[in-house]
Amino acid sequence: MSPDPKETIEHYLKQMRSGLRGVAEAQVADIVEELRSHILERAQSGDVLSAPAVDAALRSLGRPEEVASLYLAENVMAEAESSRMPWSVLRGIFYWATLSVKGAVVLMICLVGYLFGAAFFIAALAKPFNPKVGLWLLDNRTYSLALGMTDARSQGHELLGWAMVPVGLALGGGTILLTTHFGLWCIHRFRCAKLKKLTGTPSD
Amino acid sequence: MKQNGRSQEPEGKWEVQLRKGCLELAILAALWGGKLYGLEILRRLEKDSDLIVSEGTVYPLLSRLKAEALLDSEWVEGEAGHPRKYYRLTPAGRRQAVAMARTWARFSASLDGLLSRLMTEES
Repeated sequence: MSPDPKETIEHYLKQMRSGLRGVAEAQVADIVEELRSHILERAQSGDVLSAPAVDAALRSLGRPEEVASLYLAENVMAEAESSRMPWSVLRGIFYWATLSVKGAVVLMICLVGYLFGAAFFIAALAKPFNPKVGLWLLDNRTYSLALGMTDARSQGHELLGWAMVPVGLALGGGTILLTTHFGLWCIHRFRCAKLKKLTGTPSD
Repeated sequence: MKQNGRSQEPEGKWEVQLRKGCLELAILAALWGGKLYGLEILRRLEKDSDLIVSEGTVYPLLSRLKAEALLDSEWVEGEAGHPRKYYRLTPAGRRQAVAMARTWARFSASLDGLLSRLMTEES
């Protein structure tokens, strides 16, 4: 016995909702309602809704996770590409990470990059106010970027002195810029791959 | 076969960008005559152009064009028994459609001379 066509539609839309997690609830409700309307429009003949017609409509629309990821690619990630700001890039990659392992890996790399960038910036800005801040060589073998929380003066010596300010600003800015470019490059590739899959362009 | 696939890669990327650009222009052009809902836009594209459009592609694109304030939308209770979401061009969308159509026509005309020579020599 074939499943109830209405249940099939609801199951599809539930999967769509789960692919859109992280998107504002009002926008998700609007997307789901529009797709429901599309499916009914395609599958309904008068008042009759048949299971084969619903199946055909859902096949034409595409797999829910693919369509959901295209929504993300065309909205959140398109916004990241156009604004090119670190927080938009991180937001876009965060949504990507909810969809795939590849996205999670890119998110980890970007988080590490931004954390390093922020640490260099904090060190450069805090150096004039706190002598414990700087790049320290501990026990003649370990390098440590101290941000002033701990006192390393008894275990080693500071390497950069006041040069920490320009070096920290340059390294911080450079790391954040590189991380943003890497994030944007990954987002661009993700969007192209999604579009390629859904516009029917041969992949090779 | 793999080598062949690799050699086609730049052409594939170019085609993706071209299709993407065309699809946006095609949607704006389809809405030029007035408001349409999603399935009507798809049918208009199928009828009036050779673009192969996956149904799942159009709705996310419509959503982005709306976010960019090129389109406006409204829900209308239809006689079909379920509401339909209609899209229409905003004034910014109309300006964008005209600008894109002009760019397309200029670009296409400027390439025609070069391409016709290339096609003649190839055949």
